[in-house]
Amino acid sequence: MVGLKLDPFVHRNSWLHQWDPRYKFIGLMFLIFAFTLVQEVHLIPAMALVTALLFLQSSLPWRVWLSRLLVPAFFLLALAIVLPFFAGETVLWQLGPLALRLEGLLAFLLVAGKVLSIITIVFILFATTPMLLVIKAMRSLGLPELMADMLLFTYRYLFQLQDDYEGQSTAARLRGYQNSTSSLQTTSFLLGTLLVRSYEQSERIYKAMRLRGYGQHAFYAYPFSAESKDRWIFLLVTLVALVFALLG
Amino acid sequence: MHIPDGILPLSVGLAGYGLAALGTGYALHKIRQKEDPRSDVPKAALFTAAFFVASLIHIPIPPTSVHLILGGLMGVVLGFYAMPAIVIGLFFQAAMFQHGGLTTLGINACLVGIPALLSHFLFNLRHQRDWSNKPVVVTTLSFLGGSLGVLLTTIMATFLLLSMLPAHLDHDVARTGIYVMAFSHLPLALIEGIITAMVVTFLLRVKPELLKSETNHVKSDSHIDM
Repeated sequence: MVGLKLDPFVHRNSWLHQWDPRYKFIGLMFLIFAFTLVQEVHLIPAMALVTALLFLQSSLPWRVWLSRLLVPAFFLLALAIVLPFFAGETVLWQLGPLALRLEGLLAFLLVAGKVLSIITIVFILFATTPMLLVIKAMRSLGLPELMADMLLFTYRYLFQLQDDYEGQSTAARLRGYQNSTSSLQTTSFLLGTLLVRSYEQSERIYKAMRLRGYGQHAFYAYPFSAESKDRWIFLLVTLVALVFALLG
Repeated sequence: MHIPDGILPLSVGLAGYGLAALGTGYALHKIRQKEDPRSDVPKAALFTAAFFVASLIHIPIPPTSVHLILGGLMGVVLGFYAMPAIVIGLFFQAAMFQHGGLTTLGINACLVGIPALLSHFLFNLRHQRDWSNKPVVVTTLSFLGGSLGVLLTTIMATFLLLSMLPAHLDHDVARTGIYVMAFSHLPLALIEGIITAMVVTFLLRVKPELLKSETNHVKSDSHIDM
């Protein structure tokens, strides 16, 4: 089970942390979408450079960044085995039946460069902005109210439900439960209990909220005040994204 | 079954967003037709959080372990809320664990959300001819809903990945890899079917009103129409 942590690095002091969340969200989204357009291998160093610069500026710990690569690393490992050794015509180097092929190697470098750059930028976006502000930024950019409400509530209760579930499964483990295919019934009951508890809690929350006036249109207080600096950074990032989109 | 960033071309990513927006828009439209659409928001949000936590459960299937997708169960329990719930769950997974991705959020939401909505329709068949009183029918429908969720997701992802293979490369190995990935999800379809059926049976025994909300809404809707 992966431990959930609540915005651990958002209170640092780089310009990326200070950047208006609305501009940051759109600017960095432009950048990652532009990166997906890149099809030329010789753009990979430039892409890596832009990403590395942003990461260095964000003053985020590289160990945490490394730990975030764990999930995509499996995927990249599979590609690293498949593409360079099996795809393509031009053989670069051969050892017995094993042949390193140029086209496969290039295709792998392209995918790996894109995946790593995009993941790093997504990491920067969410590690430098409190989730609450990201959601408010999305709401002010036109996300439907119902979705914004659901996002906020979900985020509010994620951590508590994670604790609930850990407590339940610890209690179950103490009684000999092991998470395996032969104990699906227990797993299902654990899941069912989690749902019942969530349901009962949501009933209480809803009643408490009704008493406080919920049901009218939500009042979202937007703490955003963009200065010209925010817009200039946005313009710069958008220009970089445009260059990649056009050259890619 | 989360397609990461950087694999699919931009056009597919954007098409995914368009399709997911349509699906979510349709679901939100259906939700807004209810008498008080906001009354279910806390419930749907808490369930979304619960499903998010549950999708972190790994079930060991030697030699590897799979994590639950639970799209089918979400469709069965949440009804139309399943679509926004899935978009939100995938968003948090991409933001907090780099699982899936932001450029592929739309396409992943379609891959899990469309089968979830179909599972919801399938499970609602129980209202036909008073089947909801027959435990065998309800269990069978929830099993089918749960397995169908995984199966459809896998089939759609397989077709998508096969059609996205770069044209200039030799495809045999990649194709084999995709087929292996697809077949390794078959046991998961069975497991999720069983889990869905068991959770539904459990809920019917412990907290039946949790699954009844859809019926009540359907009834009150038709009442207003008259």
